Amino acid sequence: MTHQPPPQEYARKQTGPLSEAAFTLLVQGVLDYGIFMLDPQGYVISWNAGAERIKGYSAAEILGRHFSVFYPTEDKEAGKPQWELETAVADGRLEDEGWRLRADGSRFWANVVITALWGENGELRGFGKVTRDMSERRAAQHALSERRRLFDHLVQAQETERRRIAWDVHDDSIQAMVAVGMRLELLAERVPESCAAELERLEASVRGAINRLRNLTFRLNPPGIDRHGLIEGLSNHLDDVVGAWGLTRSFEHRLDKEPTPETAITVFRIVQEALLNVRKHAHATAVTLRVESADGGILTRVIDDGTGAPMSRDVVHEHFGIIEMRERAETAGGWWSMRSEPGTGTTVEFWVPSPEPTPPLTDDLP
Amino acid sequence: MTARPSGDSTGSPWRVILCDDNPMLLEALCEVVTAQPDLEVVGTALNADQAIALARRHEPDLVVLDVRFPGGGHFVAKEIARCSPDSRVVAFSAYGDKGSVDEMRNAGVAEYVLKGATNREFLAALRRVASP
Ligand SMILES: Nc1ncnc2c1ncn2[C@@H]1O[C@H](COP(=O)(O)OP(=O)(O)OP(=O)(O)O)[C@@H](O)[C@H]1O
Ligand SMILES: [Mg+2]
Repeated sequence: MTHQPPPQEYARKQTGPLSEAAFTLLVQGVLDYGIFMLDPQGYVISWNAGAERIKGYSAAEILGRHFSVFYPTEDKEAGKPQWELETAVADGRLEDEGWRLRADGSRFWANVVITALWGENGELRGFGKVTRDMSERRAAQHALSERRRLFDHLVQAQETERRRIAWDVHDDSIQAMVAVGMRLELLAERVPESCAAELERLEASVRGAINRLRNLTFRLNPPGIDRHGLIEGLSNHLDDVVGAWGLTRSFEHRLDKEPTPETAITVFRIVQEALLNVRKHAHATAVTLRVESADGGILTRVIDDGTGAPMSRDVVHEHFGIIEMRERAETAGGWWSMRSEPGTGTTVEFWVPSPEPTPPLTDDLP
Repeated sequence: MTARPSGDSTGSPWRVILCDDNPMLLEALCEVVTAQPDLEVVGTALNADQAIALARRHEPDLVVLDVRFPGGGHFVAKEIARCSPDSRVVAFSAYGDKGSVDEMRNAGVAEYVLKGATNREFLAALRRVASP
């Protein structure tokens, strides 16, 4: 046990008066935490320096606005802001970690605590909300974790499998069908005209199938990413594939560093799927691809000028494109979203972290 | 347009070597080319060594070369340019992506024909290259 000062002396120091004004100053000045209040309906009624730093709104900009502006579209659509308030009312407190939006639309990984505030007569006075920006800690954890290694492994395994299938189709099915097509054409020149027409139809359908198989192998194993890096891979993809669809395309990029192969593949595969959707659904005339370094990762946008049709709630056909894009981004530790406004086109936007390469496994199990 | 009955200025057919690692395709290719009076197949190769040896021995007018060829299409094209400089090479490939096309062009290939083109298109490319 250590020697303790006499209790009375200690107590006198501790109870030094802290006026309400001083306390307000303290809260206002804290930079590491966003601390602010909501009224019972969820409108922002106070704001501090930390909230401004983390979320990018000045007090003048945000006071009086509903706190759901901090949530990504998909969370808003799912009713998460309201649900969080209701939970805080029911349980007294709610804690959550997830993506939130800054004023400029970019995302950060937030730790959020919402506390219900009650008046003396038990009426709901509003909510206290404390927000921390955990983006850096999350990125650091993610980069080191076993999860990252698994993710890299998964991406590579899937690519290897796809490459194998693509080469099998290329080396066997396509070559055999090309041979068949050539022989059919040769035959058509040698038989009486009555049969020739039928042979030509056969030959045309064989050529159609060859083209489809060629596109399939291309989709499975797009040439370029592994050899020349992300930007050139995307650029070639735009030229080879999107160019052939007759879409005007533009490509803007600003990358600080080349990502790991796994990150590059993740970005490429999501862009590929998004572009395929533009082709299949958008009726667009132009598509813009933007790739840039942001928040320690890569922010990508695929913007079309098509119909911007709201997502069809088609129950007959299953849609995997959107699910797969989102899963890829989230498994990589990032986020994915799609905005669509009728008449103005669709924007697919996603961010994935761009960590340093993981060191090779040394503690491999036998 | 009709095919000329004979190939080069002396009246003899253009001499062609065909290179593809798929035997079924190589055979079909051979039949298509053999059927042309102005073209003569002087050899077929299933791999790089065979292709280079044939090119050295025959110094053909034309070489039809698979791009995804064992030993590497672009490598074989460069070797042929070395050992038979007057031979003109036509790349024949199921892949038409920019990377593959550039790689073959850099190796000195004169034409790039996509597998799946009609025989007529394929033969037209051969004739274009043979008499530029
Ligand atoms: N760029 C776009 N423009 C307009 N509508 C789009 C666009 N992208 C997606 N959609 C809509 O969203 C739906 C779901 O897309 P998703 O990629 O999940 O499925 P899909 O393309 O129909 O099928 P698949 O499983 O083959 O990808 C589409 O059916 C389409 O209605
Ligand atoms: Mg789709």
